[in-house]
Amino acid sequence: MRPFRRRGDQVIARLVDAEASIVGLLLDQLEQLLTADPDDARGDPVLDRLLPSGHEDVDVAAEYRGLTEPALREGKADDLAMVRATLPPQGGEVRLDADQARAWLRTTNDLRLALGTRLGVTADTEPPEDPAGEEGSQLTVYYWLTAVQGSLVDALAAGRDGRR
Amino acid sequence: MAGPLAPERTPGTTSREESELDRPWVTVVWDDPVNLMTYVTFVLQELFGYDEPTATELMLQVHNEGKAIVSSGPRERMEHDTNRLHAYGLWATFQRDT
Repeated sequence: MRPFRRRGDQVIARLVDAEASIVGLLLDQLEQLLTADPDDARGDPVLDRLLPSGHEDVDVAAEYRGLTEPALREGKADDLAMVRATLPPQGGEVRLDADQARAWLRTTNDLRLALGTRLGVTADTEPPEDPAGEEGSQLTVYYWLTAVQGSLVDALAAGRDGRR
Repeated sequence: MAGPLAPERTPGTTSREESELDRPWVTVVWDDPVNLMTYVTFVLQELFGYDEPTATELMLQVHNEGKAIVSSGPRERMEHDTNRLHAYGLWATFQRDT
């Protein structure tokens, strides 16, 4: 991976073949989770984190969820589609305008939230000592996504500073 | 989730927040082990128009104290703010100010 850098109004990164494939697979998994039958997915900690409760009171939270969750899901689906459309399937350059960059920002964050929740990531979690093991490889992907998203945030923040 | 759930107000609030303490509803962002500190700062700037030092201060309050009030005002606006934060994957709730 060549991390995101700002060039003019765009941000540009480069992914190798295997990295683009992994992102594609993770997008598929995220989509499956978000489009799953609510009865099957109920209680899934990842879904609870991606579509969190808005209020501590159960009744207020339920009413709020009813009003806001459809649009929240729709936004995630739109972001996911935009990331897919701008992901080179065999690897290569990722070139994003401002809206596309926001979609990548939110979706890579959702992917990290999903992986981090599944793996039980805490503030004390460190990169794996054995990247080849099953948990190690997933944690390696998590840290790789962290680097991708981190570079994207830095590139966008640099652009904002530049406009001052 | 990380972060204390103590109901008392955390110290170190900014003068802007103190001037809004009489408002009835607030939006709270809670600490979370996944979201990057730079990302949280970026989102607070993006959604609320805070300058970089203010956004950084709020992010550090979330990180160090477990939560921070990021906006206050009428309930409907706090519900909207919570929704916008959820769209960016931040762990946010709205509540009546205590």
